[in-house]
Amino acid sequence: METSVGVGLGEIAVSQNCEEILVAFGLGSCVGIGAYDPVKGIAGLLHAVLPEPLNGSDLSSTKYVGNGIYKLFEEMISKGAVKERLIIRIAGGANMLTSPGLSKTFDIGTRNIAMALKVLENQRMKIVSQNVGGNTGRTFRIYVADGKMTIRMIGEKETVF
Amino acid sequence: MTELRSIFTDEFVNLLTKISKEGIENASKGFAGMLGKELTVKSSSAKLVKLLDIPKMLGGPEDETVAIYLKTEGGIAGQMMLVMPCEKAFGLVDMIMGEPIGTTTVLGKMEKSALQELGNITGTYFLNYVSDNTGRSVRPTPPAVMVDMCAAILDIVIATAGIENEEVLMFDAEFVQGDLCTEIQFWVIPDPQTILAYGAK
Repeated sequence: METSVGVGLGEIAVSQNCEEILVAFGLGSCVGIGAYDPVKGIAGLLHAVLPEPLNGSDLSSTKYVGNGIYKLFEEMISKGAVKERLIIRIAGGANMLTSPGLSKTFDIGTRNIAMALKVLENQRMKIVSQNVGGNTGRTFRIYVADGKMTIRMIGEKETVF
Repeated sequence: MTELRSIFTDEFVNLLTKISKEGIENASKGFAGMLGKELTVKSSSAKLVKLLDIPKMLGGPEDETVAIYLKTEGGIAGQMMLVMPCEKAFGLVDMIMGEPIGTTTVLGKMEKSALQELGNITGTYFLNYVSDNTGRSVRPTPPAVMVDMCAAILDIVIATAGIENEEVLMFDAEFVQGDLCTEIQFWVIPDPQTILAYGAK
């Protein structure tokens, strides 16, 4: 029987249990980074909130995209995953506010995506697919059994991406 | 970085509680006036909230939710939001437009405009009280109406306040309207730097 494992704000989940589904519910400006090692059947999901810390912030927090990606890979590798084999998909980074005068102020979604792309490029990790941007929230799921990654938007069906 | 918690003396907490309680009472008058209905304010409070706990304060993360969101600018920067389940927003629109409850089933341009006006009036009534009692000039931005998953909407508050802080001060209350039989959350989250500057005096 499949069990959903919620991945909250700033959290990472790594699983090798093929009955589990890792889920980041309702990503708005947050960005989800999913990774899967098809040989070992290890899946990982990061729910990052902000692109980078400011001076004096907790640098070790996984709520930041850069540190979060580093920790995600570290945790997956510690369980036996091989970095070069990881299939990576990202979703989220919406601009939730479309009102004139507000949307520019809150461009955190775009900055989260840019940071994720930059960090993954620096780590020489290829992104297989992405479902990012726009003005709509998404729920991001990874099925540990086969590494399938899906998104669902409000009023829509779950789709593989 | 100065933690918000460090400036929370009993005296300061009492002041914040007074501002939140009376400011929210004033906001409820604006809200009720717009609806033309009686309104009760329930569980008004001022509290420190861990940012990452904010999503747990509302219903399911994928629940279809409507939020009316404003920022405040001037002497007191911050965020204000009215949050409610989608069907309750339909009811509010019906009341504003003088239609029987159940008439509105989608939020089109006109319906969103009605909700924006509700947010505008509620926020302005709150800010008027705060401005009168702190001597600081403060004004709201034009409101934005969002319809989306609850968690996605809350990302805005969390990302905006969380750039520099792990905790935020939140004034919150429930507006209970008899015909709707529901609670509508009213949140005010002053910018932490504003509170730190205010508390230091």
